[in-house]
Amino acid sequence: MRVWYRNIDYGLLFLWLALVSLGLVAIYSTTHGPASEFLLATVQNNFNRQLMWLGVCLVVLAVTLLLPVRFFQYGAYPIYGVLMLLLLLALFAGHEVNGARSWLRFGPLQLQVSELAKVGTVLAVAQLLSVRRRSANSVRYAVLAVVLIVFPAAVIVLQNDMGTALVFLGLIPVMLFWSGLPATTLLLMVSPVMAGYLAIVYMPAAIAFALVFTLFILWYTRERYLGVLAFIFTGGTAVVLVFALSNILQPYQVKRLLSFTNPEAAEFRDNVGFHLVQSKAAIGSGGMMGKGFMQGTQTQGAYVPEQSTDFVFSVIGEEFGFVGGMIVLILFGLLFIRIMRVGVQTKHPFGVMVAAGAVGIYLVHVFINVGMATGILPVIGIPLPFLSYGGSALLANSMMLAIILNLAMRRDDFSIYGY
Amino acid sequence: MFEYRVRSKVFIGLICVVLGVLSLRLVQLQMIDVQTYYGESSNAIRENRVLPARGVIYDRQGRLMVDNEPAYTVMLTPRYFDRNKTALLAELLGVPDSLVAARLAEARAWNAFRPTASFKDVSFEVFSRVQENLYRLPGISFDVLQKRRYLTPARAWHALGFVREINRSELVQMRDEGYRQGDVIGRAGIERVYEPALRGQLGSEFKLVNIMGMEVESYRAGLQDRAPTSGYDLYLTIDSDVQALAESLFVNKRGAVVALEPRTGEIVAFVSKPDIDPKVFTSAVTPEEWSALTRAEGDPMFNRATMSGMPPGSTWKPFMALIGLEEGVVTPRTVYQCKGGYRLGRRLFRDHEGHVHGPITLLRAIEQSCNSYFFNVMMRLDVDTFARWAKMFGFGQRIDLDLAEQDTGLIPDSSYYNRTYPGGWTAGYSINLGIGQGDMLVTPMQLARFVATIANEGTLQPPHFVRGLRHSETGEERVPDLPPRRQIPIAPEHFEIVKDGMRRVMLNGTGRWVQIPGLTSGGKTGTAQAPGNRKDHSLFIMFAPYEDPQIALAVLVENGGYGATQAAPIASLLAEQYLTGSVSPPRQWLLKSVLERESEPLPETP
Repeated sequence: MRVWYRNIDYGLLFLWLALVSLGLVAIYSTTHGPASEFLLATVQNNFNRQLMWLGVCLVVLAVTLLLPVRFFQYGAYPIYGVLMLLLLLALFAGHEVNGARSWLRFGPLQLQVSELAKVGTVLAVAQLLSVRRRSANSVRYAVLAVVLIVFPAAVIVLQNDMGTALVFLGLIPVMLFWSGLPATTLLLMVSPVMAGYLAIVYMPAAIAFALVFTLFILWYTRERYLGVLAFIFTGGTAVVLVFALSNILQPYQVKRLLSFTNPEAAEFRDNVGFHLVQSKAAIGSGGMMGKGFMQGTQTQGAYVPEQSTDFVFSVIGEEFGFVGGMIVLILFGLLFIRIMRVGVQTKHPFGVMVAAGAVGIYLVHVFINVGMATGILPVIGIPLPFLSYGGSALLANSMMLAIILNLAMRRDDFSIYGY
Repeated sequence: MFEYRVRSKVFIGLICVVLGVLSLRLVQLQMIDVQTYYGESSNAIRENRVLPARGVIYDRQGRLMVDNEPAYTVMLTPRYFDRNKTALLAELLGVPDSLVAARLAEARAWNAFRPTASFKDVSFEVFSRVQENLYRLPGISFDVLQKRRYLTPARAWHALGFVREINRSELVQMRDEGYRQGDVIGRAGIERVYEPALRGQLGSEFKLVNIMGMEVESYRAGLQDRAPTSGYDLYLTIDSDVQALAESLFVNKRGAVVALEPRTGEIVAFVSKPDIDPKVFTSAVTPEEWSALTRAEGDPMFNRATMSGMPPGSTWKPFMALIGLEEGVVTPRTVYQCKGGYRLGRRLFRDHEGHVHGPITLLRAIEQSCNSYFFNVMMRLDVDTFARWAKMFGFGQRIDLDLAEQDTGLIPDSSYYNRTYPGGWTAGYSINLGIGQGDMLVTPMQLARFVATIANEGTLQPPHFVRGLRHSETGEERVPDLPPRRQIPIAPEHFEIVKDGMRRVMLNGTGRWVQIPGLTSGGKTGTAQAPGNRKDHSLFIMFAPYEDPQIALAVLVENGGYGATQAAPIASLLAEQYLTGSVSPPRQWLLKSVLERESEPLPETP
């Protein structure tokens, strides 16, 4: 007896629900604690709305599971196209929330199109890079894939939402890696980011990194021009950054960029460093076991801004301590590994690429979000997948997971001829 | 598929590295640096002090003299206050709208989210009125503080002192002891000396404070809160009846009374007039009111009982008699020829109105207050010997007393004269000391202690205001640490002679008209020259009963004339009140006559 849901991966479903539930617990704590009466009415409702969104997600999940594999393969470009149009529509006709012009209204629902655009982009790039061609890993397709990703990122930058745009850019190396780009090229692509980060945190480390990286590339490839390129990418980035900090960027931008290295400093702590001081205080004071559910002094005093959305991790860190934070990170780790395994199990490039794209997006989100909450990255306002309050993000992330579940469940339907 | 397996491994490795970096960061924040961040997070917890109830004060009979009553303060939280309700609030408080608006602006400038004490110490009626309308007044709350309440007719202002809001310099010193802006602190008298005991132990409650400074709830459900411990109650040695009578006798008079229990040194009455109604200080005293008080006629803030030094006049003669006997310059049988004056070189030191007493013994010399006799004693004594004895009785120095406001007085010795006068000491300077005049100053407190020492025949008791301290919650009792008593090295029989002389003053001498019916007593009048050609100060010292002295008094009436006319009846009436519990009907005339007499009014000051 074969049922249609025979191959559904309950492990993924469980991990998904576990993360969403942890998020709900944290949101409940921020909105139903003793401090709730002092919150704005719109914030007080966050928990209930997130519950409602969870309901929406379950419906979407069920619907997604019913769709055939080909819907996503052949529908990838149309979906991408529609979402790009919506993105442009939001840019010109959407309305603004927190300075970002990326919201569209659908009846009673408000959606942040840029979140959904991630799903479309992953599908489109996966489709592009998984169609069987001799030159599948040729530069032409790689460039096309980059264009597919950079376009929405550019629109989102115009919508004034740098954080979300960054996530798109993070997708580039991940997708190219899975499509077979040489490791050296990838390393060269990623190295400026690393060099730039180190230059901000500790200049000597950036210099050391540039030298080591250059030598490594030289040793590994034995190609002199690649070594020169490596040195330009790393050392050059550091130099350009130093120049930009002192000559190009406005002082407030410099402050914003630099403050995360020492937000407690007197010049930062009451302005640009405030978020980080409070978030670090919340997480750090949580200690091993945390202060207990609805017992966090920083959380209940609403010291951490945006604590049910972007800084939800600080709530978990304070009230459930190191144990709580580690549970979240481990759940994410298990989820990512499982997605990859499931993706590989489809034995079809499309499945693998979708899984890789999803994990890439989740991973960039988790790294930037938790990195920001713990103060190793500057404040970049993007949510923690599945945990942060936010209907669009929860919907987009869940939808992506649902697609993976679907592809894994129907892995036998992949046409080997389509490959 | 091999390709994917490798890439999959690399990718999983990347996932592990990223999550590993984040985990290490958590280890650093939450396990290694946890103390740092715990400190950083403490801004979310506010410790509020809970003030203890200040100890109350009982008199000698255990009657409540001072306790506390609630003081209602209207608090304003600007963030929640509805500006349209300004007129309503002003009407309820009975103040102009503009004042409410001004206080609102002040409060907002301080902190819009925290309640500010905007209207302090409003009456109970106002409190109830606002309370009834609280539902219409968002952002209004109350704080109930305590203020002192005075319950007996006795004011005893100079003994009790007063409490007042702590000032800036005190705050700097006392910050570590938990004093904060707005706290009250004992500023004078007993309230000041016993401040630590009266105040009690501060309690504290911990509140969770949100980012806007609003108190959200008790921190950890109040687990760490500490209840305050109220202060010790004081049991005074003051008899509020005697005290009240003494105060009432000083109408139109300036002066002081100190009454001691000679066997113990307990202070039964302690009066300095003019004084201040302690109720003045129960509510906030504005700087204008304060300066008015300090400039008021007769200087009511000046504690005459322990701070006004003046020559003791003839009340000094018992002292001269004592040291004359002890030093052996006179004996009880010595007969001195009084010629109405003592000739020293070309100067004649005269007896009172040139009275000639003829041959006179020590007892009679005390009884009749013969100046010549005591000039003679003084001339036979070295001025340093005189000073040594005087200091032994506690003159010329601060008394170890539970009252800080004191003056030392002045007892001259030879080095004093050599310092002060160009030609140095000669007998002409010091001969007047024999009759309590000249360059010497004693305070009423010192004088009273001296009388008490005569009454108990040589034991210098430490005067004190507080018999014991009792904690109302625990019942714990404490006795204040008194300085040790001292024995004056003078033979008891010499004290008996002097006491006998003082008894004769009451029987036959200047104190005859103020004898207490049915009671024997000893006394001595004194008339001290007042500076500035004004009426003399009237002085009287007294102890009673003669056989078993239970009260010793020193009374001063400034510019009151003879000792016998003003100070003596006051001392006598107070002794009677203390010993019998009332002033007997046959003596009501005396009481009335005292009320009619007055100090010579102070000259108009330009």
